[in-house]
Amino acid sequence: MATSVVDDHDSGALGLPHPVQPPRRRPRASLKLRNALVGWTFVLPNFAGFAVLTLIPVFLLFYYSMTSWNIFGNADWVGLENYSRLIGDKSFHVALGNTFYYAAFHIPLTIAASLGLALLLNQKLRGAAFFRTVAFFPYITSIVAIAVVWNMLFSPEYGPINQFIGTFVGGELPGWTVSKDWAMPAVIIVGTWRYMGYYMLLFLAGLQTVPAELHEAARIDGAGVWQRFWNVTLPCLRPTMFFVTVMVTIESFKVFDLILVMTEGGPGQSTLVLSQYIWQKGFEQFELGYASSVAVVLFLICIAVTVVQFLYNKRRDA
Amino acid sequence: MNRKIMTSVGTAAVAALALTGCGGGDSSSGSSDAEQADGGVSISLAGWDFASTPEFQTLADAYHEQNPDVTVELKEYPAGNDYDTALTADLAAGTAPDVFIVKNLKNYVTFEEGGTLLDISDVAGELDPATGGLSSMAVDGKTYAVPYRQDSWLLYYNKALFDEAGVDYPDGSWTWDDYADAAATLTDGIDKKDVYGAYLHGWQSTVQGFALAQSGASLDGGDFSYLAPYYERQLAMQDDGSQPSYATVTTNELAYQSQFGTQKAAMVTMGSWYIGTLVAEQASGDADTFEWGLAPAPQADESTTGMDNTPVTFGDPTTMGINAGIDESKVAAAKDFLKFAAGPDGAAALAEIGITPALIDDTVADTVFGLDGVPQDDLSRFAYTTHETLPENPVGPNTAAIQTILGDLHSAVMSESDPVDDAIADAQERVANEVG
Amino acid sequence: MTTRPTALRNTGRILLYVAMTAAAAGILLPFAWMVISSLKTNNQVFTAPIEWIPDPFRWRNYLDIWIKGDMFTWLRNTMTVSVAVTFLQVTTGSFAAYGFAKTRFPGRDALFLLYIGTIAVPWASYMIPQFQMISSWGLANTLYSIMLLQAFGAFGVFLMKQYYESIPDSLCEAARIDGLSEYGIWWRIMLPLSVPALTSLTIITFVTTWNDYLGPLIYLRDRELWTIQLGLQRFVGDYNAEHALIMAGSVLSVLPIALVFLLGQRYFVQGIATTGVKG
Repeated sequence: MATSVVDDHDSGALGLPHPVQPPRRRPRASLKLRNALVGWTFVLPNFAGFAVLTLIPVFLLFYYSMTSWNIFGNADWVGLENYSRLIGDKSFHVALGNTFYYAAFHIPLTIAASLGLALLLNQKLRGAAFFRTVAFFPYITSIVAIAVVWNMLFSPEYGPINQFIGTFVGGELPGWTVSKDWAMPAVIIVGTWRYMGYYMLLFLAGLQTVPAELHEAARIDGAGVWQRFWNVTLPCLRPTMFFVTVMVTIESFKVFDLILVMTEGGPGQSTLVLSQYIWQKGFEQFELGYASSVAVVLFLICIAVTVVQFLYNKRRDA
Repeated sequence: MNRKIMTSVGTAAVAALALTGCGGGDSSSGSSDAEQADGGVSISLAGWDFASTPEFQTLADAYHEQNPDVTVELKEYPAGNDYDTALTADLAAGTAPDVFIVKNLKNYVTFEEGGTLLDISDVAGELDPATGGLSSMAVDGKTYAVPYRQDSWLLYYNKALFDEAGVDYPDGSWTWDDYADAAATLTDGIDKKDVYGAYLHGWQSTVQGFALAQSGASLDGGDFSYLAPYYERQLAMQDDGSQPSYATVTTNELAYQSQFGTQKAAMVTMGSWYIGTLVAEQASGDADTFEWGLAPAPQADESTTGMDNTPVTFGDPTTMGINAGIDESKVAAAKDFLKFAAGPDGAAALAEIGITPALIDDTVADTVFGLDGVPQDDLSRFAYTTHETLPENPVGPNTAAIQTILGDLHSAVMSESDPVDDAIADAQERVANEVG
Repeated sequence: MTTRPTALRNTGRILLYVAMTAAAAGILLPFAWMVISSLKTNNQVFTAPIEWIPDPFRWRNYLDIWIKGDMFTWLRNTMTVSVAVTFLQVTTGSFAAYGFAKTRFPGRDALFLLYIGTIAVPWASYMIPQFQMISSWGLANTLYSIMLLQAFGAFGVFLMKQYYESIPDSLCEAARIDGLSEYGIWWRIMLPLSVPALTSLTIITFVTTWNDYLGPLIYLRDRELWTIQLGLQRFVGDYNAEHALIMAGSVLSVLPIALVFLLGQRYFVQGIATTGVKG
């Protein structure tokens, strides 16, 4: 298998000289072309499927965001009308605000919790394998069961959480998922709990790239645990950190199913988020054109944040 | 137009797929060929969850028996709101069945405006005008779907618990105040922990459906003050502990079937579909065995109470329409099937499996009350057969959007996050701002 | 080795284990509830307050789920789809990732941002155009549709690319001098070194596909094609839901994933750092 892959594509298939030859003898332009071709052959198998199945529908989404499409009928061109409607749409503003609220807490909490777990469970600890599996369990447990159990735990009258808090504090206890003020914190807690094992997995993979001898050298130089983490682990972890940060950010802005099963956006609109608003507009009220414009806004927010992270990461790399 | 875009993208890409050998799966979706080998016609019908919803098979079989040359083929969709999601996708892609159920009345106008429904005013014209919900299906004088089933909301009560608390059974004269009083007395009178006089399920319809129907207000009038007395009363009942609080109902995901069925509540208002469920659960042992009865839903005031009046309640008809993309050769058969399903023969077939058809006549009532386990008293029969049932989701272009806003109002008020008046003002402002 | 007294160290260890065990118990609580509910009768599942011990234990649910539901078919379909998607995602994803991480071509970064950008678009907002397209190929209502939906996502490319970037370029340079082609470097050097990332990607893709609900809901109609999530949802009717059976099915559905995770487990902690490659 291995050799055939190499042979097929190596010099023969592309009709190019073997790379062993010093590249400087050939003109730079053809070298560039060759590099580009090699690069593209790597990307192409995935890109072909990705372009047809994802890119085309996504591009159409941008088109639909400027139409009055209701899924069945004609998509009549309305220009930027949907976007100007967004400016005056208070529910959209609420959803936008709630989404930022969720993201602002969920992103740092999840990164901290998952990195902490990964560092802890990356050690040669008896039973680490078991605890790693446990930490991943929230992600594989049925989301319905998660919603049910957490809702019961949060139940203001019968829930163990309030009974526990009640033994320490008097006065009025939080209403959690049935209170406008506490529903979002409740959802953030459950969101962090659910995803920490998932991102722990990604951090664990990243931690394997940290060379042990670097740690050893730092230890010999007298660096403490904290210094080693800060000066050895974190820099080596930067690509993984970038990946996790971008993914957590995007997933936080897109949060949907967890909130749907836990609070359905309520009470009132206190946990209504953008993805749910898109669903409401698109599939409950059949304004898919308008829903598309909300999706585009969500996309632009994520892209803006990602580009900032991307540039920051590049600068640190340089 | 949209479909054309995607289809042309599709044809371009399908060539590539065929080359790589991925195009192997044959699609069994979409309408099958009209002409069968024996020259009969086959129409496809979208329904949901056949294992626990036998009504589609029942109608298909009953129709085929009368018309042996027409076969109704069922195509299964998931239950709940997923039915709409999956059917919507099929309608958008042009792969939906010939006949489909318009399950949620609030989507009817969208389906019609989207051109997915065939004009079947001729079928509607031949149906009995007494068919529940039929008249409200007309849009600009044309009808695009006909009701075959209509559930109405009733009061279910547990006779044993009433006896235990020494409270008189409902006699058909109850207003909501009588109901609230009875709930309080029952809660005090039943000497068991965690047993309540009443149970109010978490849905917005449990409050808003009655309020809309009994106040005579209009949903898209922009004024929701008609909701206030209904919410005040339910909040008072929740505060004095005569029913579980909304917080408990939602966080513990309480089910009305287990609350009433395992005698945790002496009364519940629920749609007539629960008759069949309760009978089945008592037979299977999932519910306790106890005597129960039906009564008309409590009324706003005395003008509609008593057995010489017609009580007002709510309930949406479940309707059936024809896919506008149906093959020309099958239209006649499809229309005939609709006429059957919404007519007396369909009603009789549905009643036999304990389902409330849109057309309730004496035959239907006899059939339902002939089922084992259904209460036999006069009031139960009166409650089942006599009512003015107004839709929860009146047909209109803004119904879906308004119901979303009112759903938010419901959770805000019942969780006691917002005072009733503030929530109503807020909802009115949102309707003015966002709808229309 | 250490100057600290071992007694103190041991106390610390014990405290750590106590804390971790407590945390584990807390984390597993919802799963425990799933198991408990799967042994109840239907009307006992949701109560206030929660009943933690089923009375009576109803083991029948685990038999009924096979009789009333078509668990065998559901499991087979879900397994087919998950394995196919995971295979495609891992192979094409890691292959493309090499292109993004270790080769240079014009527009590389822009293309990569485009990949990430699509992650930011909620699937629901473009699922209808996508469904129309796949329907027009005649692939709706086939398992192929689900495979296509999930197999070429941007997630795998992104994950693998970031991992490859943490592998020193000097390694690739050395290999080039040794006469390996780029494809050879990917196959002989990158893949073996990226086992932890490949394992994570495999598990995450597998779990995501296994638990996907909306995709199968839109695409699959025929009973013979249902996946486990779609099948279990069949126990939720309009007016009724068989919660106990759903939970029994959910418990059964988690087991294969837990198995995959346990098997994949040891590969997480086996990377560059332990295979002895020096950068």
